[in-house]
Amino acid sequence: MLRRNATFLVISALTLASALAVWWLRGWAAVQHALGATWDLILTVLPSILGGLLLSAALRQLVPPGALARWMGAESGLRGLLVATAAGMAMPGGPVAAFPVVLVLAQAGADRGALIAFVLAWSLNGFQRIVVWELPILGHDFALLRLLCGLPLPILAGLIARWLPIRWSPADAPGMQGVATTRPDRAA
Amino acid sequence: MSFGVIAIWVVALGALAMCLRRSPALGRRAVADAGGALWRVLPVMLMALPMAAFIAELIPAGWAEQWLGPDSGFVGVVLASLAGGMLPGGPFVTFPLVLGFLKAGAGPAQMVALISGWAILGMHRTLAWELPILGGRFIVLRLMASFALPLLAGMAAELLLPLFPGASLR
Repeated sequence: MLRRNATFLVISALTLASALAVWWLRGWAAVQHALGATWDLILTVLPSILGGLLLSAALRQLVPPGALARWMGAESGLRGLLVATAAGMAMPGGPVAAFPVVLVLAQAGADRGALIAFVLAWSLNGFQRIVVWELPILGHDFALLRLLCGLPLPILAGLIARWLPIRWSPADAPGMQGVATTRPDRAA
Repeated sequence: MSFGVIAIWVVALGALAMCLRRSPALGRRAVADAGGALWRVLPVMLMALPMAAFIAELIPAGWAEQWLGPDSGFVGVVLASLAGGMLPGGPFVTFPLVLGFLKAGAGPAQMVALISGWAILGMHRTLAWELPILGGRFIVLRLMASFALPLLAGMAAELLLPLFPGASLR
């Protein structure tokens, strides 16, 4: 709750500062132009956002967060990384939802390679973000090119993470208290 | 109404129907959850959306073309990856900015690197979410495993670009 208000205040301050800078450096017409562009953008993405939020909420009722973890252990090999990558891409919602799920997966037995692959697949190739934002704003040619280039990266990162001699267990995470045992925060 | 919007609504309504078939209460909870998420996300988003437009007004004309143009090659890919890592905020800031850059003449391969840098290195998300939840050790592990990958994405895009003539939006 506090974090969300802090985020809102920081974002508001940054937006206000950039608005003042535009007014100061480029004049009032530029401010109006930016606000007009914002309005067009809202009209473009609002239908996708409403649909995306409904989709992610419905999926959360159907798929329990820990259901895939037994497929992602240290012995799971390349298949475990593929499963983690697919789960990360299917993971709806923003960082509020995704990072707590990492804790849930880790506690349920996913190894560090699978966790890294999961985080990267979510942040790089999250299906919901591609459909809601990238496709409508940048068009299918660019979105497809970007996705093709990003597709192998989570598996690569998972392999590197398994190879690196840095151990990590959920006990090292500050968010462990209270988060991993309850359902992840639902903000998207 | 783009194809993407229709697709997401079809899938969303399908998932909702599956919830309702299990039990009406589950369907109601899905709708309530979606409403709650919208209520939490909307204020931040409405404040953040104008930021991209304001920043776009501030970026000097020709900046993207000069430094991140289609001919900027590997140097452009490196610059774009780093710039992506420093972009603040979520997809509602990044994708409109990239649209502006592309229209101003930035190279698509460089923009692939920029989006990848934003997704992988993203300073803002790392500090605001990953650090408090997963801790510094996880971040070190993740960054060591992935810091070079945006460059790889940009170079791959450079190779694949001829197959996607519509990617430059010009």
